[in-house]
Amino acid sequence: MLKYIAIRVAQIIFTFFVFLTLIFFLLNAQPGSSLIDQFTDPNMTAEMRQAIAKSFGLDKPLHEQYLIYLGNFLTGNLGVSFSNYPRPVIEIIFERAPRTLILFLSSTTLAFTIGFTMGKILAWRRGKVTEYVATIGGVTLYTIFLPWFGLMMIWFFAFILGWFPLGKFLDPVLWRGAPFNSDVIFGQMLTTASAVVVALFIVYFISRRLDPIRRQPTQIGGALVIGAAVLAVWIPHPAARYALDILHHLILPIATLATVSFAGSMLLTRNSMLETLREDFVMAARAKGLPDNVVRDKHAARNAMLPVVTAFVFGLALAIDGGVVTETIFSWPGMGQTLLQAVSRKDIPLAIGGLIFGGSLALTAHLIADILYAYLDPRIRYS
Amino acid sequence: MTQPILSVQNLTMHYATRKGDVSAVDDVSFDVMQGDALGLVGESGCGKSSIANCLLRLLPENARILQGAVRLDGANLTTLPEDQMRAYRWKRIAMVFQAAMNTLDPVYRVGDQIIEALHTHIETMTNAEARERVAELFKIVGLDPALMDRYPHEYSGGMRQRAVIAMALSCNPDVIIADEPTTALDVIVQDKLLREMCNIQKTLGMGMIYISHDIAVIAEVSNRMGVMYAGRLVELADTADIFARPQHPYTYALMSAFPSITGPKRELTTLPGEPPDLLNPPPGCRFHPRCPRATSVCARDVPAFKAMDARHSVACWHPVEG
Repeated sequence: MLKYIAIRVAQIIFTFFVFLTLIFFLLNAQPGSSLIDQFTDPNMTAEMRQAIAKSFGLDKPLHEQYLIYLGNFLTGNLGVSFSNYPRPVIEIIFERAPRTLILFLSSTTLAFTIGFTMGKILAWRRGKVTEYVATIGGVTLYTIFLPWFGLMMIWFFAFILGWFPLGKFLDPVLWRGAPFNSDVIFGQMLTTASAVVVALFIVYFISRRLDPIRRQPTQIGGALVIGAAVLAVWIPHPAARYALDILHHLILPIATLATVSFAGSMLLTRNSMLETLREDFVMAARAKGLPDNVVRDKHAARNAMLPVVTAFVFGLALAIDGGVVTETIFSWPGMGQTLLQAVSRKDIPLAIGGLIFGGSLALTAHLIADILYAYLDPRIRYS
Repeated sequence: MTQPILSVQNLTMHYATRKGDVSAVDDVSFDVMQGDALGLVGESGCGKSSIANCLLRLLPENARILQGAVRLDGANLTTLPEDQMRAYRWKRIAMVFQAAMNTLDPVYRVGDQIIEALHTHIETMTNAEARERVAELFKIVGLDPALMDRYPHEYSGGMRQRAVIAMALSCNPDVIIADEPTTALDVIVQDKLLREMCNIQKTLGMGMIYISHDIAVIAEVSNRMGVMYAGRLVELADTADIFARPQHPYTYALMSAFPSITGPKRELTTLPGEPPDLLNPPPGCRFHPRCPRATSVCARDVPAFKAMDARHSVACWHPVEG
C-alpha cells in the first residue's frame, strides 16, 4: 500500500512539472510584452521600459527565464504580481486559495452526500413516482446554465427574500474597523472544520472496532462531545460575530453549487446501485436476515459507491474551472476570480500562479481518488 | 414418527410478467425431518430455486405466493410480517447459494461477513466471542482460521465455497438449503465438498434441502429425493427407492438418460420435446405432451399427488410399475 502511494506520488510530481513547463511556455507565447502592458503611461520612453523589463529579468531569453522560474519555484517564490504590484504571487494565493477551497470542498461534499443518498434510495425503490420526479428534476438542474441559475438564486434568496447577502466574502460595513483580520478568522474557521472532520472519522473508526451493542452509543456520544467542543470554542470567541458573517456569505454560493451538481452523483449512484442490487451478495445479505437499511447501505450502496467516488473526486479537480464562473457571479474573491483578472490583465506571474493552484488541485484530487479507491476496494489494495 | 422441522404445504407461486403469470411453483408439498437430506432434482427452470427462495421469502417484486404454507415451528413463513421473517432467515433457515462464488461481498473480510450474521441474530455476542465462533466454523469446513481476515478475492473458488458453507452454519440453523452450490467448481473439488457437506449435515443433525439438476449429485447427498417437472413435484421418495423403482415416467426417463458405470451397458434414452412454457402450461398433467404413457385423462385432469406407500408418493395417472 505504501509503495503504491509512493509510486503514485512520484508520478504526480513528474506530471506536475510537465504541467508547469507547459503553462509557462504557453502563457509566454502570447503576443506583446505582458509587463510593458502594465505601464500605460504614454510619456514613458523606450529606455525606461527596457530598464523595467531588465529589472524583472524579462530581457533574458525565454529558456533562461524558465530555469530561473523553476529555481524560484523550488524555493517557494512564484514571482511578483504585475497587477497587484508589489505583492508576491504566493501571498495572493495563500490569501485566496482557502476561500475557493472551502467553497468547492463543501459544495461538492454536500452535492455528493445528497446525490449519493438520493441515488441509493431511488434505486432501492425503483419505479415509484418519486424516481421520475427526482430524475427529471436532477437532470434539469444538472444541465441548467449556471450563470443564469446563480443570478436567479441571488435574485430570489438575496434580493426578494433578503435572507442572504448579495455576494462577496464578508460585509464591509461590519468589518470596518474590526479588530480582526478576516483571513485569520477564516483560517481559524477552516481549522475548526478540519478538526471536526478528523475527529468524526476517529470516532467512527474507533466505534467500528467495538462490540456491536456499544457502537451506536459511542458514535452518538462522540458526535455530541465534538459538537460541544466546537460550541465551547466559538461561543466565547471574541470574533464569533465576524465568523458568523463569513458563514452567512458562504451559504448561498455553496447551496447554488450543490444544487446544480448533486444530480451527477445521484444519477451515477442510481445506475451503479441498480447494477449492484442484482449481485448475489445483496441477495445473500438479505438471506442473512439483515435489516433492509443495512442491506442497502452496508452492502449494496457500499459497492455501488466505488465508481461514484471517482467521479466525485474528479469533479473536485474541475472545481477551479467552475470557480471562474461562480466566483464572478457571487463576487467571491477566490482563486477563480483572481485567475480571470490575471489573464485579462496579462499578469503572467499571477496567471501561472492561478493555474498552478488549479493544476495542483487536479493532481491532488487524482491522488486522493487513487488512495480512496484503494481504501474502498480491497481488490485494488493488494494487486 | 417425529414432527417434521420444516413442512411445505401446497405451495403455489407465480411470477407476474407483462405477458401474463408464469406458474413457477404449483401445489408443491414436502416435509423435511430432523437430519433429513432432501434432494430436489429437475431441469433448469422447473422451479427448484423458486421453492428455495419461497422458503426464505427472498422473492423478486413480481413474485406472488398464491397459496400454501411453509411451516416451521408452527409459524407460517409465507404470511409472516417482514420484520418477523427476518428473525427466521439464517437463524432457522440458512442458504448456500447457487452462485456461491459471488455470495461474499468483495469489500469486506470473509470473517467479518460471518460475524455480521452472528451479530444480527445474537445481539449480545461480543466481537471476541464472534471471532471464536468463526474460527470454530472455519475448522468445521476445513479452512484455516487465519484466513478469516482475508478478503474474498484472496480465496480460491473451493475456499470461497467452504466459507459460504461456514457462513450458512454460523447461526446453527434448523435447515440448510443448498442451491446447486458446487456447480461452479471442478468435479474433484465438487465431490470432496459434497462429501464434507454431507458429513457436516449428519454430524450437526440439521435438515438439508439440496437442489440440483444433476441426479448423480442428488444420489450422493440425499436420503430423500423429490423430482420436479415444470413447477410441480412429480415424485417424492427415499433416494434409494427412487433409483430402484422410479414410478413417474419423467423420473424413469431421467434415470434412463443417466449412464451407470457399474450396471449393464445400454443405450441412453433421451426424452423428446422440451419442457413446457410456464406462461401457458399444458392442462392436466404438465408432462403429458412428452410422456410415452399419456392417455386422454392425462391431458384433462391434474393427477393427484398420492402415496404409493408410506414413503413413496407420485403424481401420475399411469405410474411405471416397479
